Formats: sequence, C-alpha cells, structure tokens
Amino acid sequence: MMLDEKQVQQLLKLKRFEQPPPGYFERTLEEFHRRQRAEILRRSALQIWFERLSSSFGNFRVPASAYAGAFGMFAVIATLLGTGIWTPDAANRNSSNGLTQTEISDSGLKLTSRGEIQLSRPETKFQKNFPTIQPSDASRPRYILDRQPVSYQPPVSF
Amino acid sequence: MEDPNLLDDEALVRRTQNGDTQAFDVLWQKYSSRIYSLIYNMTSNHEDANDLLLEVFAKAYRSISGFRGRSSFYTWIHAIAVNMTINFVKKRGRRFQMSLDDLDSSVHNDKEFIELTASNTPTREVDLAELQQRLNEAMMKLSVEHRTVVTMFDIQGMPHAEIARILGVPEATVRSRLFYAHRQLQNYLEEFRKK
Repeated sequence: MMLDEKQVQQLLKLKRFEQPPPGYFERTLEEFHRRQRAEILRRSALQIWFERLSSSFGNFRVPASAYAGAFGMFAVIATLLGTGIWTPDAANRNSSNGLTQTEISDSGLKLTSRGEIQLSRPETKFQKNFPTIQPSDASRPRYILDRQPVSYQPPVSF
Repeated sequence: MEDPNLLDDEALVRRTQNGDTQAFDVLWQKYSSRIYSLIYNMTSNHEDANDLLLEVFAKAYRSISGFRGRSSFYTWIHAIAVNMTINFVKKRGRRFQMSLDDLDSSVHNDKEFIELTASNTPTREVDLAELQQRLNEAMMKLSVEHRTVVTMFDIQGMPHAEIARILGVPEATVRSRLFYAHRQLQNYLEEFRKK
C-alpha cells in the first residue's frame, strides 16, 4: 500500500524530533562569541567600515523627491535652450575671449583671434594612405555671377 | 536599563545597531534553534548545519546596521539562512554523508507517530532509526528548492505566505513546489517499501 499525501506529511513531522544534543545552542553561542572576537582582531578598521558601507548601499533607495528634482532641472535646461536665453555656443565664445588663433589638432577646428571658429575638414590617416575618389569640380553645381550687375535700365548707347 | 529578554525584535535590532551585543544574544536565543532546524533539514548533516548556523548569525551581525525593518527580523534572518544554505548545498554537490541528530525520545508519545505506526502502512514494518534514515534519504533526493519548501512547511510549520516572503517567490510557486515534492516523496518512500 502506498503512502498517501497525509501520511507523508505526518512522516515529515517526525523530523521535528531530530534534535541536537542538550546544551548545544548554549555551547554554540559561546563559539559564536569566540569567532566574533577573533574576527574583530583579524579585520582592520578599514575593512569593517567598507563592509558597513556596502551593506548600507545594499539597502539604499532613491528618494521620491530626487525624481522631482531631476525633472525640474531638465525643465529649466530645456526652457533656457528652447528660448535661446542660453546656448552652449555662446558660452564657448565667451570663454574663448582674449585667445589668439588656436588650432585643435585632428578636429579641423580653428579659433581665430577675433573669437570666430573656422571649420576645415581634417585629413584622416586613412585618407592619406588610401586616397578616395572625390567628386570633380565639373560635377559640382556652379553659380556664375556676371561682372556687371543685371540692370533693367536701357543701355546708355541707345 | 530595560532587560533585553523583555524586548521585542524591533527594539533588540535597534539596540544591536547601537552596539549592544547582549541584545543580539537574545536574538540568537530566540531564533538559533529554528535556523538550525532549517539548515539541518536542508543539509541532513549536523556538522554542516553547525558551521552554517554560525556563519548565518555572523553575517546577520555584520549586516544588521543596514537592516531597515522593511520586513521582520524573523523573515530577514530566515532569508539569509535559506540563501546561504542553498549556495552551500549546490557547491557541495552529491558527495556528502548524512550525519543525523538523534530522535528525541518524546517521539514515542507523539500522537501522529502513534497513529502512523498503528496503521497498516510501510512505517509499521520498520524500526524508528531505519524510518529516520529512509525519510532523510528521500528528502535528499529532492532538489534543494523543493527540500526548502518541504522543510519550511511540513517540518517547521510555516504558512505559505511566510515562505513566499522569505523565498521572494509568489505563493502559487510555493504551493506547486510543495505539491510536486510530496508526490516525489510518495514515490521515493514507495521504492523503499519494495526493497
């Protein structure tokens, strides 16, 4: 006859009677104290501090107000940029006043003494070693300006 | 100063956080036997249970400064014990020897034991030591996850909700693991009967 589920559960309850010898928990508490003392002597103060710090971080939760603060910051920056009150370009120009012409290597940017930034296309190492085909001048659109401006006034010779 | 033995867990934890080691001793006295039983029934080895019990309380003591009371101390220390024991059992693998504690003599007066041995079941045919051996062997055939829920529910008598909180799984998972584990135990114990 097979055991039914109730009998299995009754059997399992018998395991509650498996007990360590009397006085075991008192002796183990003493052993715990002994190990604690030994550990304190072994570990440096820095290790203890680091462990406490890491356990504190384990329970760290971002406060709800931080989300509101981050959103507020975003809104302020978006407003400043959107309305043109402040732009990163303006900030850069202001910070570069008084400087002579400077070339920023590899980037192709050139800062003139007037504070203007000139952009020239930098030549990369790849382009030096493996010249690529560029569109010729003939294929580029041309805008030819007459030497004399167009006028609707009749020529003087008439 | 108030006697630590009269304080509740919350106050004992607060005192321990403030450096009162006696308060932690009271927590040890309250929970060490339950934690030992949990580990012992998951490992079926007294020496391993002894070492893990000390490690669990050492870890709890080191981490108690970060305990914020979002769960009870009881749930918290049980979760530490379960995680450490599962890791230990997985590392240990299959190579281990059972080292069982003696059965308390009061088992003979237990109503359920009397009922079980009086009925016409396989348990009637074996003596108590053999029954203990068979039962533990059957338990060790379960996966560690199934053994954990059987230990907590059938041996320690914890409700499903508490087990779910400690393991961090839904209650339905606890119930299904229990159902499956009971089925497996029925089969394993049936095999013993045939031997």
